[in-house]
Amino acid sequence: MMNRIEVENLNVYFGDSHILKDINTEISKNTVTALIGPSGCGKSTFIRTINRMNDLIPSFSRTGNVYLDGEDVYDPKMDVVDLRKKVGMVFQKPNPFPKSIYENVAYGLKIHGITDDDAISARVEESLRSAALWDEVEDKLDNSAMGLSGGQQQRLCIARTIANNPEVILMDEPCSALDPISTTKVEDLIHKLKKDYTILIVTHNMQQATRVSKYTSFFLNGEIIESNLTDKLFVDPKDSKTEDYITGRFG
Amino acid sequence: MNSEFKGIIVIAICIILAYLFINPGASYERIDVVGSTSVQPLVEKLAENFTSSHEDIRIYVQGGGSGMGIRSTKQGLANIGMSSKELSSTEKKNLTEITIGKEGIVIAVSNQNNIKDLSIEQIKNIFNGKITNWKEVGGNDKEIHVITREEGSGTRSAFESIVMDDTKIKDSAIVQSSTESVKQSVASDPGAIGFVSFAHMNDDVKPISVDGVSPSEKTITNEEYVLQRPFIFLIKGEPSKFAKEFLSWIKSPAGTEIIKKEKIIPVK
Amino acid sequence: MEKNRLSEFLIEKSLVITAIFSIIIILLIVLFILMEGFPAFEDYGFFRFLFGMNWAPSDGEFGVFAMIIGSIYVTLLSLIMAVPLSLLCAIFMAEVAPNSIRRILKPVIETLSGIPSVVYGFFGLIVLVPIIRTNFGGTGFSMFTAALILTVMVLPTIITISQDSLRAVPHEYREASFGLGATNWQTIRHVIFPAALPGIITSIILGMGRAIGETLAAIMIAGNVVQIPGSIFDPVRTLTANIALEMGYATGLHYNALFGTAIVLFLIIIILLLIANYIQHKYKVDVGGGYL
Repeated sequence: MMNRIEVENLNVYFGDSHILKDINTEISKNTVTALIGPSGCGKSTFIRTINRMNDLIPSFSRTGNVYLDGEDVYDPKMDVVDLRKKVGMVFQKPNPFPKSIYENVAYGLKIHGITDDDAISARVEESLRSAALWDEVEDKLDNSAMGLSGGQQQRLCIARTIANNPEVILMDEPCSALDPISTTKVEDLIHKLKKDYTILIVTHNMQQATRVSKYTSFFLNGEIIESNLTDKLFVDPKDSKTEDYITGRFG
Repeated sequence: MNSEFKGIIVIAICIILAYLFINPGASYERIDVVGSTSVQPLVEKLAENFTSSHEDIRIYVQGGGSGMGIRSTKQGLANIGMSSKELSSTEKKNLTEITIGKEGIVIAVSNQNNIKDLSIEQIKNIFNGKITNWKEVGGNDKEIHVITREEGSGTRSAFESIVMDDTKIKDSAIVQSSTESVKQSVASDPGAIGFVSFAHMNDDVKPISVDGVSPSEKTITNEEYVLQRPFIFLIKGEPSKFAKEFLSWIKSPAGTEIIKKEKIIPVK
Repeated sequence: MEKNRLSEFLIEKSLVITAIFSIIIILLIVLFILMEGFPAFEDYGFFRFLFGMNWAPSDGEFGVFAMIIGSIYVTLLSLIMAVPLSLLCAIFMAEVAPNSIRRILKPVIETLSGIPSVVYGFFGLIVLVPIIRTNFGGTGFSMFTAALILTVMVLPTIITISQDSLRAVPHEYREASFGLGATNWQTIRHVIFPAALPGIITSIILGMGRAIGETLAAIMIAGNVVQIPGSIFDPVRTLTANIALEMGYATGLHYNALFGTAIVLFLIIIILLLIANYIQHKYKVDVGGGYL
């Protein structure tokens, strides 16, 4: 299976703080990879490095390389706009725009220059269906997105990301702000999506990792301690620190 | 300890401020003089000199125009009103008039205007809009911009009664609200003309001679220069003891000296 | 604890008293103006007052229409010039400028708003009027000259408040937008600016209030001619200038008519405020956005 994302000797700094240390990993195409580990050990920073969202932070600097389909993401010739179109992101706290539901999902299309209203409508409906939200909102697309519940908002954000036709979806603890029912809906969604998208999901919830992911990487203090098939990592961890974490001795 | 200290400082400041503002036993007499912007500089000078030799009197001088002076005095808001025009019969009701001098109204043009003399008839027709271009009176081909004062101005009323006959200053004349701003407006516009009080004249603008007569202390005194009006003090009822002192001082040699220095003709 | 409850009570009550006090003072002023101005409407006729073309107190004519036009034109013209300029500046300061530049610009602009209007008026009289006259003819005293000075006076208000509104937009929206591959400018245009719009509209309302209430600068440079201007280079008289020029000496019906002018000014401001608030409310309700 082709490697979608390859990370070589990645080190990330914010000012003098060394956040990620010598990260080496590969992500396969159309799989779900869970990133687990205690708070503050660099998981979010890691995925934000892949779509260059860390560029927004002035003190950010890095050494090492990140490749997407063989291309160096940090190459000066790389078009960041294009990169972020290919690599979409869903954030921890749902952040729909203060616009209508329709306009939220259509946003990505419009800023990338699509003007055909019919094409946009079709894509909006398609994305909302994929996000399992269509039935709940089809008759109120012009209502403000701010009127939706937390779970619905997060699914809206997922729909918004999908509408953009990415190839990779980065999810930063997407369910941590949601109730159990919404969480189930989102996890079902991830199952649906994994056929067509490469997904990285940061999660605190180990049960969630076992439910949705094929591969899991364990992060501790800015390093990847262990990466393996999810089944193997949780049942037979190779490193003692991994074992301590998943058995709840810390974290 | 810190906030207690701050509290003490705040209280101390309050006490000091209260003392400064609500000063009891502060013994000085107050005279409020309000009115014509033309008369104002003269009265300010007189007040300055008078109070330097009379420590217990303070004189506050305000502008606002002759109209305001008349009304403030009638309403009792001012001890003395200043007017730069003759009062009408309705206006002078209940008021005592004391003429302290007479002064000229200067017709001013910009220093770049080559006109030197105009007749009263010409001035009238310029201000009422019949004459619209300087070339009609022997000057350059330039539009005439008329600058006037607001309706309550004593200078304007005096000008109107002497020059305009039964015509009116044209509607499209630019209105300025003090004699000084008229002067400034004329100074910066080569095509402008306006009337300014004689005491305010300086090199910023050029005075026009009227029917061959140039405005000067001499021509105003002997009434050769016709554009003149009285500077009048207005009092309602009996003036206060201190106002009386001020008024008699003005008529004294010391006061007369200052009036002359301000280019105004003293009057007995 | 008893002491706490007592001080809570006292603080609450004194706040209520202060609030009521301010409302009462405003009401008293409004009442006074209404009382002094009404006789003018009664004796002269409201519509005759409002739509009369002639203002000639010595002839007993008190039509303020030309001055209503004067005030509205000058305010609108200055807003037309000020709004685009200030919004661009606010966007620059909030989104584009590096911190070092913003730290200098912000206090400079805030200082501008503290300059008294007479200084602006004087500057206009000495510097601007001759420039307008040399380049555009006429006397130099005109609606356009006044609008220019008003623009400068209104810029700081709109810039500071708009800038604060823009910076108050939550960072999450920017992240979401960038995450979808938008450029900086696209994000500003499609997400940040619309989200800040209610606050921006507030700033424009405040600027408009300052412009229409400006008296001193208007007296010194608008020309004060009672006429409906044919071009923006014609002189005009604003409602405020009318009151200030004649208040000192007016008596009788003239005096009432000036208060009547104040009432008209009130009405215009209230109408403009209602329109602006409606726009703001509609925007909030439609889109559910806005943080100020």
